[in-house]
Amino acid sequence: MATELTTTNLKTDEMIINMGPQHPATHGVLRLILKLDGEIVRHVEPVIGHLHRAQEWQGQNRTLFQYQALIDRVDYLSGMFTSLAFAHACEQIDGCEVPPRAQYLRALVCEMNRISSHLLWLGTFLIDLGALFGFPFYPFREREKLLDLFEEIAGQRMMFNYIRIGGVIRDPKPTWFEKVRKFTQEFPDRIDEYEAIVTQNPIVLKRTKDVGILDKQVAFDYGVSGPSLRGSGVNYDLRKVRPYGIYPDLNFDVPLGQNKGDTWDRYMCRILEMRQSNELIKQCLDKMPEGEILGKKQIAGLRIKAGEGFSAIESPRGVLGCYVISNGSDKAYRIKWRNPSFCNLAVLPSLLIGRPISDIMAIFGSIDVILPDVDR
Amino acid sequence: MLTNSNELFKFSRLIIVWLSIIFISVWAACYLFGFLIPHIILSMGSGDVFNFAAQLFQYLTPVIAILVFIPINAMFMVLVERRGLALFTVRMGPNRVGPDGLLQTAADAVKLLFKEDIIPTGADGLLFTLAPIIFFAPSIFGSIPLLAAITGNSDWFAITNLPTGIFFMVAASSVPVVGIVMGGWASNNKYSLVGGLRSAAQAISYEIPLVLSLLTICYLSQSLNVIEISDRQTGGFLNWNIFGGGALSGLDKYLAAVINGSENAGEILKMYYPQNSILTVIAVIALIFATVTAFFMYLTAACAEVNRIPFDLPEAESELVSGYNTEYSGIKFAIFFLAEFTNLFIVASIASVMFLGAGSSPIPQFVVDYVLTHVPAVSGLLNQLTALLSPLMNQFYILNPATFWSVFWMVIKTYSLVLFAVLVRGTLPRFKIDQLMDFSWKRLIPISLLVFFIAILSKGVFFTNV
Amino acid sequence: MTEKPAEKTEVKLEIGRFGKFLQDNGIKSKRQSDSNNVETIVIDAKDLEPAMRLLKTSSETTLNFLLCVSGVDYADKIDSVYHLWSYEHNDALVIKVELPKNNMTNTQTPCMSSISNFWPAANWHERETYDLVGIRYLKHPYLRRILNPWDWEGHPLRRDYKQLIDALNDKNPHSFR
Repeated sequence: MATELTTTNLKTDEMIINMGPQHPATHGVLRLILKLDGEIVRHVEPVIGHLHRAQEWQGQNRTLFQYQALIDRVDYLSGMFTSLAFAHACEQIDGCEVPPRAQYLRALVCEMNRISSHLLWLGTFLIDLGALFGFPFYPFREREKLLDLFEEIAGQRMMFNYIRIGGVIRDPKPTWFEKVRKFTQEFPDRIDEYEAIVTQNPIVLKRTKDVGILDKQVAFDYGVSGPSLRGSGVNYDLRKVRPYGIYPDLNFDVPLGQNKGDTWDRYMCRILEMRQSNELIKQCLDKMPEGEILGKKQIAGLRIKAGEGFSAIESPRGVLGCYVISNGSDKAYRIKWRNPSFCNLAVLPSLLIGRPISDIMAIFGSIDVILPDVDR
Repeated sequence: MLTNSNELFKFSRLIIVWLSIIFISVWAACYLFGFLIPHIILSMGSGDVFNFAAQLFQYLTPVIAILVFIPINAMFMVLVERRGLALFTVRMGPNRVGPDGLLQTAADAVKLLFKEDIIPTGADGLLFTLAPIIFFAPSIFGSIPLLAAITGNSDWFAITNLPTGIFFMVAASSVPVVGIVMGGWASNNKYSLVGGLRSAAQAISYEIPLVLSLLTICYLSQSLNVIEISDRQTGGFLNWNIFGGGALSGLDKYLAAVINGSENAGEILKMYYPQNSILTVIAVIALIFATVTAFFMYLTAACAEVNRIPFDLPEAESELVSGYNTEYSGIKFAIFFLAEFTNLFIVASIASVMFLGAGSSPIPQFVVDYVLTHVPAVSGLLNQLTALLSPLMNQFYILNPATFWSVFWMVIKTYSLVLFAVLVRGTLPRFKIDQLMDFSWKRLIPISLLVFFIAILSKGVFFTNV
Repeated sequence: MTEKPAEKTEVKLEIGRFGKFLQDNGIKSKRQSDSNNVETIVIDAKDLEPAMRLLKTSSETTLNFLLCVSGVDYADKIDSVYHLWSYEHNDALVIKVELPKNNMTNTQTPCMSSISNFWPAANWHERETYDLVGIRYLKHPYLRRILNPWDWEGHPLRRDYKQLIDALNDKNPHSFR
């Protein structure tokens, strides 16, 4: 335990360490100013913004049509979700209809993207725990398959630009659906594989159990959402609480943390969520209707009506919100992103105080922060 | 099931090729210094001066062998580690430089040699330079007694046969931590400092179970001399120290007698296990338990001693960037790297010498005898081979079969342990520093003391006649 | 950057559920047209802190999920917009605080009180709004720029913002290169 590491009668000087922005484990360019007493963290100040790309500024200086191609970069691991949030907000304002087939395709690709994002998280989380060369690569093997599938429908592996205002841009071929179905059939076995090597690994258990306990009230106060919140046992999934798209028609469970909201619970939540997403993909494939896929013409002068819209969806990292103010021109008047990573990262200092250095990366990895999503 | 069998084949081919390269180069160096040059000197004339010069070259042989061996071996091990990890993690691994990636680490070494040698601002230049040297030096002089054990006490390496060999090696293996602390402190980098301090704490904690587990074997073998320890283990795997430190050698002899149809098989058994009661059986089982536990504890402690995952806290990449060697570049970093892998090799070979029978074959002697006497085809083949090779061995002194087989088995055992370490690295995450300390002081040290006590008790009290 | 914001239709709107709740507790609010059936109210800057405290803790509302704090720069005013949800039920509320600009230049900042002292979620959002839109939240524990560098000049999401010198220009003394 952390308190056993210090001796009360030995006074040592505090040491200030800059962890990052260049550091192997800060998932990009996060900088943590740590005040250490020996190996115990006494004070943390996250410094963000090294990856600021002025997404909101670009949103009000590009036309909507141009900006649609940029928003995948807000969170590069779950580009479908950022597109979806923006599309939802614009559709709210415009009131345009989204055809049912497009709705199903959206749900399908989003759940696939959720799996691919969680897979990358699993790999990096294990790297954070120090399994430097080992099983991190197994999740990447499955992620590769998903990215290939995305490439086939969107033309890109990560920056999809697939979900557009009013629908989706391309109708996949029937063979693509077969490939997805094949993936869903073999994917549960793969998760079993990861679980066999990780879930009962004594060192993983030692590193994650009772580490970084996120209290429910603290999570509420900081506006934490997503699997990090559900790990603390709060049943808050937008797909259930405020269903959007076709999620009311789909049948799935929301996995919750069984323990007390520690790193282990957040890990387990994401693993179970991948299984649920797999089920959702199967249901989407089964119920996929025929018909149109785009309810609004994609032209360079794309415009939406004047008004305000706020949409929020459940991204792999939490509640991803997009606040769009339009004045009826082809540019948005103001776009504001509510990024889950940004809000979840704010809770990090309260989790880290009093923990040793080794826990920093376990905790930081477990709340699944993507720095482009923080800094946009 | 084995989807990457092609990769596996390439991996084995790579190992065989590299091992041949290592063997040939080391052998050539040894042959040059141990035989050819002294021979030429002696042929030039006789007298004290010539004798002295010839002897000097012969005495230099072990040092030359090690100096040739260490860099090539480290290159090989880095490649094995990278390719092995790639094999375990469904990747390709480096396969571009040279045929099938054979020369990757050679290219890396050359690259490191030509890199700028940076001493960071505010660093203590002298200590910063000394640190890699102090880290590397023990792996040269510490491995000298091993040579005698590896080569089966060959004439060329007679000088390395120290009476307190294992003690010397353990003493030498505790020196590198000074280099780590020194490098960490002199780098003027907080990550390095934390890494160095962690390393100091870790080395002190894990030295104790390491030495205690070796002490168990030394007690059972009644010797500190690696040659004597390995000599006691010849004649099949039943004699290896890991199986009770000789507790099963009576069984070995008994089986041999039974197979040979000897009359006095029972007497042999009685001679080795005189009390012949349930107590003896318990003592044998307890001894086997003690030595097997000691073996695994040695592996654990050795992993920590050479900073391998799951105990690689001094250079924990996801926490401390690269720990004590964060600020090192160029040749100094190369030396750290070299020494790290050499240390891994040394602890693996100590494990094979102390527990796995050193250079002795795992096949029991009675099986070999049985096959040689009862299967004429095999013995005929062997005789022909011996006749073919005997001029090489006897006249030119090129290859001593005893030495060759000793080295052969030793290499197999040692590199199996190295591959095991690679597998562990490919599987386990890292401990935390407090868990690491707990694991050593609260688990390993009590257990190793207990194992030592069990060994003494069962060997000394219930099992006196061996 | 001369676009006009959306024209507001000046229709007298009925007081909504949360507006009524606030009115009962002595806080005046003005209803705006809803977006997507979410009640939108405008309140005075000085009323914000008590209103937020009430909405967060009162058992009648429990709007305890602060989604985000956004600043919106209009021609004559700057809005600070609060999106409130609840973790327990399906309610939502948008609160706007309108800060008049009074011909201030693009480096001057309007002031209002911060809520991050009792609502940590607002901390980083207010820093971000300060950084990008330039609303100074008084009594904020650590009001520094968060996304832009600490020595950045101006507030980029103001409509009249002009980047005076190229930050990546080598001749710039503040250049990053």
